[in-house]
This record gives sequence, structure tokens and C-alpha cells, in this order.
Amino acid sequence: MISHFLGLLRVVAASFNMQAKERATNQLFVGTLLILPVIFTILSVSTYIYGGKADFGLYAVIGAGMVGIWNANLWTSGRIVEGERRGGTLSALIAAPTPFPVVLVGKSLSNAVVSLISMAMTFATGLIVFRLPLDIENPFAFIISLLLTLVAMTSLGLVLGSFFVLTRNAGAFIEVANYPIFILSGLMFPLTILPFWLKPLSAALAPMWGNLALGVAAGLVAGNPWLIDLYLIGLSLIYLLIARALFTQVEYRVRRDGSLETF
Amino acid sequence: MTAIVIENLGRSFVTTTGTIRRTQKTVTALDNVSLTVEPGELFGLLGPNGAGKTTLTRILSTVLLPSSGRAEVLGLDVVRDAKQLRPRIGMVYGGERGLYWRLSGRDNIQYFADLYLVPPEVSRKRIPELLELVGLKDRAEERVEGYSRGMKQRLHIARGLINDPDVLFLDEPTIGLDPIAARELRTVIADLHNAGKTIFLTSHYMYEVDALCQRVAVVNKGQIVMMDTPAALKQLVANLEVVEVECLSVSSEAINRLRDHPRVEAVHVDNRDQVQVLQIQAPGGVKYVPEFLHLLDGANIQKVVTRQPTLEDAYVKLLGKDAISV
Ligand SMILES: Nc1ncnc2c1ncn2[C@@H]1O[C@H](COP(=O)(O)OP(=O)(O)OP(=O)(O)O)[C@@H](O)[C@H]1O
Ligand SMILES: [Mg+2]
Repeated sequence: MISHFLGLLRVVAASFNMQAKERATNQLFVGTLLILPVIFTILSVSTYIYGGKADFGLYAVIGAGMVGIWNANLWTSGRIVEGERRGGTLSALIAAPTPFPVVLVGKSLSNAVVSLISMAMTFATGLIVFRLPLDIENPFAFIISLLLTLVAMTSLGLVLGSFFVLTRNAGAFIEVANYPIFILSGLMFPLTILPFWLKPLSAALAPMWGNLALGVAAGLVAGNPWLIDLYLIGLSLIYLLIARALFTQVEYRVRRDGSLETF
Repeated sequence: MTAIVIENLGRSFVTTTGTIRRTQKTVTALDNVSLTVEPGELFGLLGPNGAGKTTLTRILSTVLLPSSGRAEVLGLDVVRDAKQLRPRIGMVYGGERGLYWRLSGRDNIQYFADLYLVPPEVSRKRIPELLELVGLKDRAEERVEGYSRGMKQRLHIARGLINDPDVLFLDEPTIGLDPIAARELRTVIADLHNAGKTIFLTSHYMYEVDALCQRVAVVNKGQIVMMDTPAALKQLVANLEVVEVECLSVSSEAINRLRDHPRVEAVHVDNRDQVQVLQIQAPGGVKYVPEFLHLLDGANIQKVVTRQPTLEDAYVKLLGKDAISV
């Protein structure tokens, strides 16, 4: 039992490293991690300033950082399977004795950790370009919430990723899924402007709770950050269970249909 | 225990064409295939394009499910016991895909050592040994994208051996290699066989199978046409002689006239650069050369030779017109 768990951990670590090495050779990530967050922060903060709501600056900066993290997650992690299929390595991964979702967890986590850079970039933009006083009320809770948000977003990414295996065109799917998730999670506008019937949907989305946890830890919203963190942990577990069930189904289907190599 | 048991195995694929008016077509890739492979045997599967070789290898290596029948490797069912089976087999696909091109050769192997949970103290020793075996020791730190085709193919073999599998599946391992690289790779395969591994090899190349395999199955359109030793296969054509006629412009009518000749058993047309080479199989062929040439009137004949039959001729005889793509 313990050796089984250690084995899985080893696969997660190896996949994490492997993804880091591959990413290091890829210039595209410079754009998504360094440049996009800056542009997004500038747009978002400007909107609030010209709307006469300059005190929303910190809110906008956190939201922009979350968008960056989510983008990195969806665009890079959501497409891992597609990449493996194109490269012809998917068969070898399925043929390996370790469960394929474990490989994906490692690779996605690797992307998630690096996506923290985009949060750093939005804070830097807020401080340097807009000279915003970005005071975080409870820095410790903020960091813990950020890490739990990463885990929750990665888990949600795995759920969505399992759909991407079955669709031939993950890119189009991501385009369609992306903005509704931003809006439903309150990353672009405060959630209060959403109609009430959309609220249950928001409650199922990790980015919304991550954003809320960060907002509370930063002192923007009243509440107990640790309670929200607890909710994030629960949500992550639920996502992971769903992802595991979906991937079992996906693996069965690709073996049945012979679609490991076709794209 | 038998290494591989295949019983009445079938596999079909449903393909869809068109986007608006979708039509479905079913392709039978394997049709009622049965065979067994003994432990330590080097078994060859020979057949033209689309015969079903890759499909069979993929089913045996647990990445594809059969549509009917069953298969066991090392006494484990490839569907039901896939989980227990996977650590004990290795698979190698020919070609350049299936490697992480942006990583070094060593990183590629190391990653699979981790995926197969090879104990670190074992992989520390095994990885350099495998790199040595496939002759990549000096280039192991370079990125795979800079490797030649032969190097990639050899890296595939090293990767497939990382878990020290009891059974190794090799799907056209020498495809696209130049003759020297192919020969080197065959030496590696022969060494693995001598080391006691059970090897299931698919190939397009007669001489490869002849040189390596103890037994061969010839497949065509998903069915086994014949299964025996290479020597027995050659026996099929032992009483034949082969007349090779090189010509510039042979018509299909002329070929049909040849096929209708009472002594002719098979005619195979090879299109080489500028010329067509007809391989005419006939018992006592030499005697009929004048008659053959007469039937080929107008074909612009360049050269005529007679020779003893090879395994390739046995293959041509078995497959008839289907052998053309070889
Ligand atoms: N994933 C798939 N989807 C649809 N059809 C498939 C698929 N895989 C194989 N086929 C079909 O099954 C048949 C057998 O293919 P297979 O790849 O097994 O042949 P092969 O003997 O390996 O040929 P080659 O020598 O060209 O590699 C072919 O008609 C092929 O088109
Ligand atoms: Mg093939």
C-alpha cells in the first residue's frame, strides 16, 4: 500500500520534471506567462480607474493573476493529451503500468506551479505601472489560499482535459469554455452583478472560490479565509474523483476505438 | 507455459467519412487469427500494407481491444489482465514518432524507467547498458530532434527494454533505415533473442524474417495465409525457377497472357526507377524463356536472367497479386 503510493508519487515527480524540461525548450510560454498577464492587468485596472472605482485596483490585479493561472492551466495542461497523441507517445504512456491520470497530474502540476509567475507579473504591473498600494491583509492566508487554488484549478483542468481527449479540436473547445468560466468565477466583474440563477454554477468552479479566498485573505472581502480554503480542498477532491472516473472511461474508449494515434 | 496464445482473434474499425452526410464503413483488420508463440522464440509476422500486423501488435501490447476472440501473453489475458501484463512486456514501434523530441535520449529512457517503476538502483545500471547496447552511449545527452532516423529507432528499442520485459513486440523496427543501419539493428534483435527474450516481430522484408525468425506467419487482409519455418516456406517454391525479365513498357495484357501460360504459377511486377521487373515463377522455367519472351512481344526487353527461388518468391506465390505493395 505504502510502496504503491510511493510509486505513484515517483511517477508524479518524474512527469512534473519532464514537463518542466519540455517547457524550458518552448518559447510560447513566455507569451502566456509573462506578456499576457501584463496586458490583462493594464486593461482590467484601467477599466476600474476610468469607471471611477480606483479602490478596486487590488481586486483587478488578483483577478488578472487568476486569469493568467487559469489560462496557463487550460491552454497548456488541457492540451497535454493532444500533444502526446500528436507526438505518438500516448500509446506508450497508456501501455505503461502506471495509471495515465497520474502522469497527467504530474504534468499539470508542473504547469500550475510555473503559472504562479503570471500572478507575480500582475502584481508587478499593478505596483509599477499604476503605483497601486497592494497591501495584503493576511499574507500567510494569501499564500496558502494561492497554493490551494492552484491545486483546485489543476484538478478542474484534469476534468476538462478528459473531455479534450475525446474531442478532436481541443483549441476550439477551450475558446468556448474560457470566457464563461472567467465571468462565472468573478475574475472580470464582481460576482454581485451575476443573475441569481447562475450562482450555483459559480459555486462549482474552482477559480471563483480561489478568487474569493484570495480576496478575503487580502482584506477586500469580509470572511474567514480558512473556511474557504477548506471548501477548496473538498472541491479539489471531488474534481479528482470525477477526473479519475472520466479518464477510466476515456482510456477504455480510446482502446476500443483505436484512437490513440489518430487525430 | 506458452508465451503468446491467440485464439480466433478479430478486430474491425468503424470509420466515418463526410461531415454533413456521414457514412460509416467497417474495415476488418484482423479476421479470426489464431497462433501460438513459445517462450524464447523469435516469431515473425510478414504481410503487405494494411494486412493487420500493427493491429495485432497493438492488441497484444494491451493498447487496443479486440472485437472478438481472445489473446494471452505470459498466461495473462490482454484485456482482463492488462494491468498485470503491462510491466512484463515491451513494445517498439518503427518510425520516428513516439519519443519526446525536445528531450535528450537519456531523459527519454529515464522517464520510462520511472513510469515502469524500475528501482533506481537497477535503472542506474541498466540505462547505460541499454544505451551501450543500441550504440547511443556517446550521443545520449543530445536532444532527440537532432538524431538520425536510425538513432531514433534504436532509442525506441532501448526504451522498450527498460523494464527488462519477458516478451518484446517489435513493429517494423527497421522501416525506413538504410541497409547498414537495418543490419545493425538486426544484430541487436538477434542478440536479444540469444539472451532468451521472446520476440514478436512484424516486417515487410523477407530477408529480415529469413535471417532472424524461427517461425513466420504470413498475413494478408487480416488472415493468416501460412505459418511455418522460413525453410518450409521456401520449400513451397523449391521446385520452381524464377525468370526475371527487365523491360521498359510492359502492358497489362501481356502480363495476363503470361499468367495464362500453363507452366506459369505466378507473375510479380516490380516497378523500379525507370524499368519494370517481371518475376515469373515456373517449374523448369529456363526451358520456356523463348515462349515467355514471345508473349511479351513489344515490352522493350532489356535483360533476362533465371535464378533460384527465395523466400520472397514464396511470399509472392502465397499472396498472388496482393504481394505488389511489398
Ligand atoms: N485506428 C484505426 N482506425 C481505422 N482503421 C484502422 C485503424 N488502424 C488500422 N486500421 C485499418 O486496419 C487495417 C489494418 O491496418 P494495420 O495498420 O494493422 O496494417 P499493417 O499490416 O500494420 O500495415 P502496414 O504494413 O502499412 O503498417 C487497415 O485497413 C487500416 O486502414
Ligand atoms: Mg503497420
